Amino acid sequence: MADPRLFRLRVTFRETGRLALLSHLEVARALERAVRRAGLPYAVSQGFSPHMRIAFGAALPVGVGGTAEFFDLFLTDYVAPDKALAALQEASPADLYPTAARYIEHKDPAASVACPVSTYEVELSEAPRALVVPEAVTVVRKKKEKTLAVADYLVGPVAHQGARVTFTLVSKPTGSLRADAFARELLAATVAAGHGAEGLHPTSFLRVEQRAE
Amino acid sequence: MARTNLWPRVEPLLASIERPARYLNHEWGCVVKDDAPFQFCMIYPDTYELGQANQAVRILVNAVNATEGMGAERAFLPAVDMADLMRDAGVPLFSLESCAPVAEFDAVGITLPHELAATNILETLDLAGIPLHSDERAEEDPIVLAGGPCAYNPEPYAPFFDVILVGEGEEQLPEALSLIRTLRAEGAPRADILRALAREVGGAYVPSLYRWRDEAEAQAAGSWVEPLFDDVPPVVDKRVFEGFATSDAYEPMVVPYTEVVHDRLNVEVLRGCARGCRFCQAGMMYRPVRERSADNIVSAVVRGLADTGYDEVSLTSLSSTDHSQIAEILTRVNGACAGTGVRVSVPSQRLDAFGVEMAELVAGQKKGGLTFAPEAGTQRLRDVINKNVTEDDLFSAIDAAFAAGWRRCKLYFMVGLPTETDDDIKGIASLAQRAYDRAKAAVPPEQRGSVRMSVSCAVFVPKAQTPFQWDGQISPEETLRRVGLLKRSVKYKAVDVHYHDPATSFVEAVMSRGGREVAAWVEEAWRRGARFDAWTEHFNGEGGTGAAEALGRDPPADAQTDIATDYVLPWNHITAAVSPRFLARERARAAEGVTTPDCTFEQCSACGACPTLGADIQLQEERPATAGESGVAANPYRTVRATGPVAVGAPSAPEAVAGAASEPEAAAEVPEALHDPERGPRGEGEGSSEEEAMA
Repeated sequence: MADPRLFRLRVTFRETGRLALLSHLEVARALERAVRRAGLPYAVSQGFSPHMRIAFGAALPVGVGGTAEFFDLFLTDYVAPDKALAALQEASPADLYPTAARYIEHKDPAASVACPVSTYEVELSEAPRALVVPEAVTVVRKKKEKTLAVADYLVGPVAHQGARVTFTLVSKPTGSLRADAFARELLAATVAAGHGAEGLHPTSFLRVEQRAE
Repeated sequence: MARTNLWPRVEPLLASIERPARYLNHEWGCVVKDDAPFQFCMIYPDTYELGQANQAVRILVNAVNATEGMGAERAFLPAVDMADLMRDAGVPLFSLESCAPVAEFDAVGITLPHELAATNILETLDLAGIPLHSDERAEEDPIVLAGGPCAYNPEPYAPFFDVILVGEGEEQLPEALSLIRTLRAEGAPRADILRALAREVGGAYVPSLYRWRDEAEAQAAGSWVEPLFDDVPPVVDKRVFEGFATSDAYEPMVVPYTEVVHDRLNVEVLRGCARGCRFCQAGMMYRPVRERSADNIVSAVVRGLADTGYDEVSLTSLSSTDHSQIAEILTRVNGACAGTGVRVSVPSQRLDAFGVEMAELVAGQKKGGLTFAPEAGTQRLRDVINKNVTEDDLFSAIDAAFAAGWRRCKLYFMVGLPTETDDDIKGIASLAQRAYDRAKAAVPPEQRGSVRMSVSCAVFVPKAQTPFQWDGQISPEETLRRVGLLKRSVKYKAVDVHYHDPATSFVEAVMSRGGREVAAWVEEAWRRGARFDAWTEHFNGEGGTGAAEALGRDPPADAQTDIATDYVLPWNHITAAVSPRFLARERARAAEGVTTPDCTFEQCSACGACPTLGADIQLQEERPATAGESGVAANPYRTVRATGPVAVGAPSAPEAVAGAASEPEAAAEVPEALHDPERGPRGEGEGSSEEEAMA
């Protein structure tokens, strides 16, 4: 897998505005196209169906944007990171926009598992008086209901300042609690407790930080 | 006029629907010209996934945006979930670029891509809040135009449109819009604008300026329509874009976020096909044949890949392997894409043009399925339909393909073709089984187990402006009987048989051959809730019977009756520039089993298109005459490289395309408004682009 002749470029990008409504697959395809438009010397896999050597970080739910998203791109030739970044920026729309690029080691963890801890920032339609954090969140996955204990995934407190709510979730090898599902239950519990009005909803939802455990 | 921005009302709806990326705009390559004083909205009457892939929509939006003082935006029909939410919230149909209500545009164009889109057109108008009928529209409503393949029999759509543009729209649409703009600026009333369009724009049909006659009157008068004014043309000939061959083959395109049916760079290498298959409307509609040069095409591929970042390019046309420079083009394009992981696909290859050389040129590392289209199971019937391919052509193509590494092949046939007998049906089974034997023999013994052959059957649909326009369709019950016979005749387990839903084909036939009365029926079906595919049941099931009875229609008669060639047809006042005499002569030759050669290879077949349009066949080099003839047969309308220099931008350096290994793949045959209406997008399995289609 790790071809020592290749260069592994980690590109940080933001996914904002209406493009937060793209699915993970749509984002991945759009980024691959931006790489081709940028004219970077990307590596191509060998085999039955040759494709670009690129790896994406943990998926964002549809409707959730991010300011610190990233992907790893394997290049066949060295391109100075600032030049690579400039070429990518030239080939990208403002709402899906590379903001940093640096080379990392081949032995560094894969993009999909490198940063299991994510911090989210949610702007609400109005400021709740207080927040009620639910103990469990029930999600439907593959037509099966599954109940997740919030304590297994929530890192630290749910912070609350005016209409802005900040929380951090960690994903486990066995699964993860989706940020949008957690926020939905959080708001439902808050409204049910009478701390917020009916119809309380996020007006902006961003992942603002991703880090290792 | 300042237009409303609906985005603040659209955005909240997107949280709870499928694929919000359909409604976002902001794609790479989209052009916003919202400050232009005249605004046009181009609509494809189906969802984004089908419409955004459409080459005609792309061409026309670009052509209008290239016009001084005009802006063009796109709109598509929202999927049912979104349309329902929009109605509940009182949000009308909106354009993508400005998110403006479609009804606020100066003019609105709707493409008529295939017969099954008819109820979606009403859904589009209704959602836009534009009155459904031309005669109900007020002065301030947009002028509503139509165009596309179904314009060749416009009557089932006539009441819904102010103007129907027949033929190629590159020049015609900007011309029509310029006239509308000028007259609106002068304060001309709507009626005067429509009259001026009919009078001054070639290929423009304005249904409201003609009285619809009853059958007896039509037969006596030689036309179903009577112009209400002297300056309205009694017959409308299609428009042709004469500058096609020398125009830039690069059509800048929007790169969608969500996956669309043909998600790739399209480069149109030639237009038209004169093979002359007698069932094929596209083959009659896009005459004369015009080729773009290899330099033009290669430059378009290089610039297009650099601009879009696509990983696939398709060299599109009705019959790309007929291009006189196809080997040169493929060699150069393969070279330009080498090492990049970019695939090169060639849809619509002829099986008689698929030899060893072609197999190598379109062969990369990945071999998807191949599709060959013998169309009929016996040589007798292939001669009747003028398919002009033999069993040997098929077997040679199979030999070449399987030796080059393909392992799966689909054979495309029609059932219900004129004069078809049970022997022809059994012939399909026999041909498919022998093709399978050939394929197996061309493959190393240890791989023979993976050889697959499938047979896909469409039901013959009689199309307006073709030699088979007079022939009735077989009934859905008879279709099922013939398909049953075919299935019983296929003895090999490795050969499987698929067929189209005969009920859908029945609706296509009704829409294809109906007159103006059918419009009321379409409207009734739509009022009963029919939209998207679901509406075929309204023609066939209880709803359809109800709608038909309510309106006193006999749908099977429209679809299934054989008509005498001297009967005056409901589309007699529209022509594809191919003369009715030629069509009748071809029908007679079909009855005798006599074939007619392709005029781009051999002598002129006197179809009438070139003299009527004042246009010539434009080839880059001579196409070789078919086997047995030496030299090139004379054809007064065929010019070779009479094309002059091409105005294209400088090709980018090849390294801009980065990287190597061309990969042929997949080019299924969902038709674009400009391509191949024979195979509806509802036909072969939507977006099943794992096949290379070979006509």
